[in-house]
Amino acid sequence: MAGLELLSDQGYRVDGRRAGELRKIQARMGVFAQADGSAYIEQGNTKALAVVYGPHEIRGSRARALPDRALVNCQYSSATFSTGERKRRPHGDRKSCEMGLQLRQTFEAAILTQLHPRSQIDIYVQVLQADGGTYAACVNAATLAVLDAGIPMRDFVCACSAGFVDGTALADLSHVEEAAGGPQLALALLPASGQIALLEMDARLHEDHLEQVLEAAARAARDVHTLLDRVVRQHVKEASILLGD
Amino acid sequence: MAEAAGVAAEFFASNRARAARAVLDQVVLPGEELLLPEQEDGEGPGGAGERPLRLNAGARSRVRVVCGPGLRRCGDRLLVTKCGRLRHKEPGGGGGGVYWVDSQQKRYVPVKGDHVIGIVTAKSGDIFKVDVGGSEPASLSYLAFEGATKRNRPNVQVGDLIYGQFVVANKDMEPEMVCIDSCGRANGMGVIGQDGLLFKVTLGLIRKLLAPDCEILQEVGKLYPLEIVFGMNGRIWVKAKTIQQTLILANILEACEHMTADQRKQIFSRLAES
Repeated sequence: MAGLELLSDQGYRVDGRRAGELRKIQARMGVFAQADGSAYIEQGNTKALAVVYGPHEIRGSRARALPDRALVNCQYSSATFSTGERKRRPHGDRKSCEMGLQLRQTFEAAILTQLHPRSQIDIYVQVLQADGGTYAACVNAATLAVLDAGIPMRDFVCACSAGFVDGTALADLSHVEEAAGGPQLALALLPASGQIALLEMDARLHEDHLEQVLEAAARAARDVHTLLDRVVRQHVKEASILLGD
Repeated sequence: MAEAAGVAAEFFASNRARAARAVLDQVVLPGEELLLPEQEDGEGPGGAGERPLRLNAGARSRVRVVCGPGLRRCGDRLLVTKCGRLRHKEPGGGGGGVYWVDSQQKRYVPVKGDHVIGIVTAKSGDIFKVDVGGSEPASLSYLAFEGATKRNRPNVQVGDLIYGQFVVANKDMEPEMVCIDSCGRANGMGVIGQDGLLFKVTLGLIRKLLAPDCEILQEVGKLYPLEIVFGMNGRIWVKAKTIQQTLILANILEACEHMTADQRKQIFSRLAES
């Protein structure tokens, strides 16, 4: 779309947000009864569902079992109706496999896998509506689902995307901003210790701007953490009230 | 770039360790660090000036605190690894007591000494493989039943329900269970009889039902005569006189998790009338 300015002179983006402002986030835990853990998150118009099973026996070949750690198996799938044009293959294509690998890397950093050797933890994420920031929404949904399943984790994992337009770093990109072709960075952070679980960018960005973009992404990830914190506390309070505490 | 990295590192880290005593019975989330009572004194305001001089500076009186499920030791602090409410139990004798996190979970992780209900999935040689809902099937030797000898084998088939306890259950080894206690008596363990219904609930509900003064169990007992077995792995086996009564009891126990006390009393009174 030629002529569409991503950042106006007054500092407003296409959807009326400020440069560092996040989209509205709503999340729920425990949406599926049959899974060990599940969660649903909406970040603006991006909707993602995560389901966790485990730790259970290794399925398939026994040879894949790791003697000292649990195997984390992530599968990413985006529904055929999730994008503007109907997608042919929901999962199994190159992008989904790569996303699955990135999610696996992210969660191997956060889950305490040494507590469950020779077992497997499955994380299935499905994107129901993709409006930019799908990796971030998947990571946030999967964190809530892993917490719902009671699998021990070192810390939350909170993720956000960031871009760079006209000398300003933007946080939480929507599809329009991603499609414009500027640099985009995806950051997954462990908020309490400040450690980075995954940092991914495949565009060109001058190294002088890197710190600014990184800071914007980190600040946004911490804001996400504040929101998810509230959601988890609410869920735990409701659950323990019903159990009569 | 080095200065930028330094600034970034400071910006990223935000350490907020709280005293464990201050958060008792409150919701804690993974990533939080808790200070034990003995460390609070050392880290209070005033620093070296207000601390009393000790003759043996190296040896402080250490209280032994047990770190239960949901907490890990991280240096000299406790790191929370599950979300839930923080609980503390005072010690009977010496020691600092136990801290743990009460969390909701559906998946069972075998713990030594737990009584569980398992389903026999295979017989291989001298042992049975029993599915207990964990990450590995447990092994049960045929000699681990009351009165079992090499000549007198117990009558256990694939698909039977077994009530037993774990003697070996750690993360490195395959769990092993037995159906006798340390004196060699069955004590209620062994093969569970015919009929009845096995269903799954969450682990938190089982712990609540097994608490000493549980009202739900007393009310259920007044409703119909029944036999019931609770497994700590989230499985309950129930048997009443007729199939309809068994199903009613199973539905009530499953629904107990999502009902408040008043709704439960309403349902019980309606069933008692009919």
